[in-house]
Amino acid sequence: MFWHNFKYTLKVVLRDHALIFWTFAFPLILATFFSLAFSNITASEKLGLIDIAVVDNDAWRNDEVFRKAFETLSDEASEDRLFRIQYVSKTEAEQLLADDEISGYLLLERSWFSPQRKALIEFLAPPPADVPPVIFTAKSDINSTILKSVVETVAEQASIIETVIETDPAKLANLAYAHAANLVDQSSTHLDYVMIEYYTLIAMICIYGGIIGMVAVNQLLANMSMSGQRIAVSPARKSTLVLAALCASYIIQLVAVALLFVYLIFVLHVDFGANLPLIILLALIGSLSGLALGVFLAATVKATATTKIGLILAIAMFGCFLAGMMGITMKYLVDTNLPLLNRLNPANLITDGLYALYYYDTFDRYWGNIITLVIISGVMIAISVYALRKEQYDRL
Amino acid sequence: MPNKTTTTTKPKSATTAAKTSPNLASKSASKSAAKLATASNVIEVCRLTKTYKNPKNHQTLKAVNDLSFDVREGEILGLLGPNGSGKSTTINCLLSLLKFDKGTIKIFGETMSPSAYNLKRQIGVVFQEVAVFEELRAQDNIDFFCGLYVKDKAERAKCVDTAIKLVGLEDFRKFYPKQLSGGLLRRLNIACGIAHKPKLIFLDEPTVAVDPQSRQHILDNIETLRKRGATVVYTTHYMEEVEQLCDRIIILDKGKIIASGTNSELKKLVKNKPVKQVAGPTLNDVFLELTGKELRD
Repeated sequence: MFWHNFKYTLKVVLRDHALIFWTFAFPLILATFFSLAFSNITASEKLGLIDIAVVDNDAWRNDEVFRKAFETLSDEASEDRLFRIQYVSKTEAEQLLADDEISGYLLLERSWFSPQRKALIEFLAPPPADVPPVIFTAKSDINSTILKSVVETVAEQASIIETVIETDPAKLANLAYAHAANLVDQSSTHLDYVMIEYYTLIAMICIYGGIIGMVAVNQLLANMSMSGQRIAVSPARKSTLVLAALCASYIIQLVAVALLFVYLIFVLHVDFGANLPLIILLALIGSLSGLALGVFLAATVKATATTKIGLILAIAMFGCFLAGMMGITMKYLVDTNLPLLNRLNPANLITDGLYALYYYDTFDRYWGNIITLVIISGVMIAISVYALRKEQYDRL
Repeated sequence: MPNKTTTTTKPKSATTAAKTSPNLASKSASKSAAKLATASNVIEVCRLTKTYKNPKNHQTLKAVNDLSFDVREGEILGLLGPNGSGKSTTINCLLSLLKFDKGTIKIFGETMSPSAYNLKRQIGVVFQEVAVFEELRAQDNIDFFCGLYVKDKAERAKCVDTAIKLVGLEDFRKFYPKQLSGGLLRRLNIACGIAHKPKLIFLDEPTVAVDPQSRQHILDNIETLRKRGATVVYTTHYMEEVEQLCDRIIILDKGKIIASGTNSELKKLVKNKPVKQVAGPTLNDVFLELTGKELRD
């Protein structure tokens, strides 16, 4: 009986064109769309060296914090090199800026030991007469913004150092270098928001697996479909039939996930790094959670199959939206303001698990997401089993 | 029991059968009548009551009200009644699909329940709505549903083949349901319900919305099934079908039996009423006389 129903569940599901589209074709189309839409953005956002000038005066030479920081960030031997610096006079710097050969120049008129240090930063605004400006830029672009950000950061660190020097001057130099080293370009690492799009896509296809499970189980239930009534009056045990349907659904779902991975890795050349086995494990558990959602809706919601499919699509889309599919900011906002929502959102748990594999050195967060997914799936399956045990109905 | 109810349980006479359905005036009609008179009960329903509750307004509707009847082995029992009279509810209770408030249901002498798998193995159902998978070909549909009853592949293949031939779908084995006409679809629906050769068959309005040719074909199939020894419970709105097929008829209204008996016995009930028929009352006259002429939901 198991294999009989298993075989026909495969036949029924694989003949359902709408289901095949949502399960197999739609994720590939979306992946292609992401690839086309975001590949240029990624390339354009990869930081090149920023040409700047520094006015080489006494203040600069005396200001060890600024000098060390910019030397570190312009070190030719460093992979994190950010700036290409020309040390020039103020007049030359103005000329370079006018000729658009640099993104800006840094002018320290007093060293950071000056009591006026806190007022050093001025950006694209006329400086007050009594406060010497440190940066001059000609335009408001990403390079200017980075230069401003670096100067702000160094100034903040200078403030810390000032505090330290009052208590333990011997630590000054080491502290300055350490803080300067924190200014690195992270755009070249694996993690970027395009990867988050792919992660949410994987999460989405995992949740879409619920459609297959829902369809497979829905047709076995007497109060949901006519075929279910015919099956209910047969001597076949419902538990065997449901198990066969779930196994068939899960296999189809896993094939769909595998297809997506193959497409992402070999066609779109998405680099999943060295943690592919853990990513696959997450996809397996994620698919289980999608399947559990589908079975849960099939067993507990009294509605047509079309309505239930719509419900799963809506849940998957909304879940992926919260997980950052339409912008990583949303994930950040929900994580910050409504953390419980994302802790119960399977799409976010899958996305976050993939994210954690890259971002963190430990696997704590990854396993935390896996365990939460297993618990959520278990709860949904337990409720479904309870509902599916019902063999007689008050009405059909 | 309601006042109008008759309790005669004699099978349809050969004469009646000949009068109402010349093409089905089987030579063995009198033989089967005698056989039915001594047959044992396949279904025994005692004081069955089923109430629907509306969860929104907490109103209740007694769909089946203290219903008792028997079905004998080898007979075709017609369940007649206007819309909402409780025919389908009764069948769904008999099949253990619906919970009921009180009463007992015995099939082949055993109490029917959702886990009575041995009983279910001997029952076939043809639902009012076509219950097949759109994604499976005609033959696969029959094979799937037959497989729920018959495990052995070779035996199942024979059953499927027999069912296909019975309903005349030989040329449509590879067709998907949406490629079939209404009549063919109904025949597929029947094949799915009877392929496993059940001893007891429930047919719930199997001829709804089909052309006369397909209808006649379906009725011939039912007669064939009976000749093979099956007991049939048949619900319909078509009086001529009941006259043509059924050994005994039960007329339900508002969940109660208001009359039962053979075709001729029921006609006697309105013999003295002012029915405008030169050749005597038809079953339709009887039905309208007993259930009234007001429209039902």
